[in-house]
Amino acid sequence: MREQQLQTILQHMPAGIVTLLGPELRYGFVNEAMQALLGGHTPEGEPLAAHPGPLTADIREVMGQVYESGVSYVAKAFPLPLTEPETGQVVPRYFDLALEPLHDDHDQSLGLLVFAVDVTAQEEARQRAHTLSLETRRLDARLRVLTETAPQITFTMDAAGRYEYVSPQWYYFTGQPPTADLNAIWPLLIHPDDRLRVLYQSEVARTNGVGWTYEYRLRRHDGQYRWVLSRALPELHAPDKPVFWHGAVTEVHDQRELAEALRRGEEELRFLADSIPQLIWTASAAGFIDYYNQHTAEYSGLSPKELGPTGWVSLLEPAEQALAARRWVQSVATGQEYEGLCQMRRHDGQYRWHIIRARQLADARGLRWFGACTDVDDQYRLRQVLQTQYDELARTNRDLDTFVYTASHDLKQPLFNLRGLFDELRRTATFTDPEQGDLLQMVDQALGQLDGTLHELAATVQQQRELAAPTEQLDLRSVAEEVLLGLRAQVEEVQATIELDMGAAPTLLYGRANLRSVLHNLISNALKFAHPERAPLIVLRSSLSDSGQPLLTVQDNGLGMSLDTEIAAEAVPALHTFERQHPHVAGAGVGLYLVQRIIDSRGGHLVVNSTVGEGTTFSVQWFE
Amino acid sequence: MNHIVYMSRAVRPLSDQDLKELLDQCRRDNALHEVTGILFYSHGHIAQLIEGEPSIIDPLYEKIAADGRHSHVMQLANKPISARSFSDWSMAFHPLEAEGFKTLEGFFLPHQVPQTPETLTIADALIVDLVRQAVFGPQQDTLV
Ligand SMILES: Cc1cc2nc3c(=O)[nH]c(=O)nc-3n(C[C@H](O)[C@H](O)[C@H](O)COP(=O)(O)O)c2cc1C
Repeated sequence: MREQQLQTILQHMPAGIVTLLGPELRYGFVNEAMQALLGGHTPEGEPLAAHPGPLTADIREVMGQVYESGVSYVAKAFPLPLTEPETGQVVPRYFDLALEPLHDDHDQSLGLLVFAVDVTAQEEARQRAHTLSLETRRLDARLRVLTETAPQITFTMDAAGRYEYVSPQWYYFTGQPPTADLNAIWPLLIHPDDRLRVLYQSEVARTNGVGWTYEYRLRRHDGQYRWVLSRALPELHAPDKPVFWHGAVTEVHDQRELAEALRRGEEELRFLADSIPQLIWTASAAGFIDYYNQHTAEYSGLSPKELGPTGWVSLLEPAEQALAARRWVQSVATGQEYEGLCQMRRHDGQYRWHIIRARQLADARGLRWFGACTDVDDQYRLRQVLQTQYDELARTNRDLDTFVYTASHDLKQPLFNLRGLFDELRRTATFTDPEQGDLLQMVDQALGQLDGTLHELAATVQQQRELAAPTEQLDLRSVAEEVLLGLRAQVEEVQATIELDMGAAPTLLYGRANLRSVLHNLISNALKFAHPERAPLIVLRSSLSDSGQPLLTVQDNGLGMSLDTEIAAEAVPALHTFERQHPHVAGAGVGLYLVQRIIDSRGGHLVVNSTVGEGTTFSVQWFE
Repeated sequence: MNHIVYMSRAVRPLSDQDLKELLDQCRRDNALHEVTGILFYSHGHIAQLIEGEPSIIDPLYEKIAADGRHSHVMQLANKPISARSFSDWSMAFHPLEAEGFKTLEGFFLPHQVPQTPETLTIADALIVDLVRQAVFGPQQDTLV
């Protein structure tokens, strides 16, 4: 019964079992697994050679030898091509074949017991490991080529800080022989000023199990210290402490020097900008201010943050803000220089005149704006004071001039009369006292002197005028505006509207002082003779006459005057009429007289047209 | 009441569909949180102004700034204002297919964007004018 049980167990064992008996190795007991392995055809008593199944000649020969020698043998991972029963496919499988000689009680060879254990899975794993190790070796070789050709020193360091590996570049760079003791030499090649820091930082990183990045100077083969960047990362055998650090040392000397130079340059520029007592700023291509210098904060009392990217505009005089903002948007759009004269609020609330100027700079780093606001308040105010004084002086001078001229002119007639009367007296009267002859002589001399003096006076004034009048190309509008600035008080007093229409002939070749004087007198005249019932409107128009000569008309809507036709053609007497008609208005005659004279002296011509109650138009023909 | 203005660049160009979805979501969420303002978009350039309570718009700005659809987010203003300048939240851009957008609420073509509100200070209006110019390029009337 026990025998029977044993048979059953053997029959169903997952390992293959077969007994081969006698020197011919005839099939004896074959269990199921072995049956499958041998292809199913194992007739008991038949020799193995007649039904070898998948067993090749070499293994059969080894079996024969084991039988002969009586010494067991195990064929490891022996491949047997097996046919899968379902698919009919032939797949290689691997078996450990244990060949055990069988003996009878007298130690006579009976045959072989063969055990077949399927080791396909193990064998496949082993083969995979083999291919993997081949691949690893290949990758390793590649890595080595890469590490040893890259322009960097690569290294591996252990937890104690000892170098495990360094790439050949280290030897090229340092010029050290291959026999050099890396661990002893490397620290010595670090610049003395950097050494302690580097050793310390590396040590700290290693104790904390983290990587590092630092720069230091390393001695090159030629003795020069070069800046290098050392970076390393720990190799973690999680979750334990790292055992190795792998890293690279890259030379960054040139970059560092360049960056240093750039930084120094920028620092110096900024220092410069911060030391200038002007408002200096830079803006992005889109027009947002990204830097205000120190002085801007001092002047405005606002930090760059408080000012913000467009805050400069809020420093301007409120009435000027909208226009300035519009012009800035336009400059940013077109790239055109921004320029303006604006009042900017100081921290104490005072507005001061500034010239604002901004220009675009396009370089490799893109497009930026650089701007400056220069305080010109003192100059501006000084100019205004000077201008007023100048205007006043010029006016006084002119009045004096005119006075002298008029006086000398007006005194001529009475003097002429006096001379006539005196001559008549000398002719008709008799003088008894002989001394009276001397007296007559003296009166005669005195009259002659007076005449001479008057003549000289007139000549001097005339000469001065001409001397003081070098001609130049003048912009009529700007001269007119200057004059109006001087007359601002009068203009405001009567609320006059003044229109300048110089487009048709915008420039004139004339003496500046003379042109000012003409405009000044004609405009102030028009202001003086304003109609009390309507707001004065004065239109100055520059044009070209039919013959192409420049012409200026000054038209007002004032009181007007009556002119006899003859006089209207010849302006000078008209002026006297003018004065007579408006005795309540002071000083009209003298001013217009001067205008007349200036125009005359340049070979020009003044015509007046007027209607009482409607207005007057003066036409200046600058040249005949 | 505060307002925030920023400019940014889209990580990749936004399609009509992207823009429409953004418009829908923002119209809905902003109305819910009483956030008003305007967004400009063109060729990957983005600029936006949002108005509302700082307790709402500060975290909203943080969220928008962290949105992966754009980067290079640069804040130009974040400051108190005396009153809102925008009545709702809207968007201005150039869709490839203008048809579907014409009737959308809160949508403008770039040249139809209303003038910068007068209620802004001149310095703040200047920010809006400059970002609009940076996104859409110079306007015709500024190039006189
Ligand atoms: C350019 C841009 C502007 C945005 N503007 C808003 C906005 O105004 N309001 C808003 O709620 N979300 C805005 N978002 C979307 C938010 O970033 C976020 O995706 C959205 O609020 C959904 O957030 P949730 O997922 O937390 O609900 C904007 C996104 C981008 C890319």
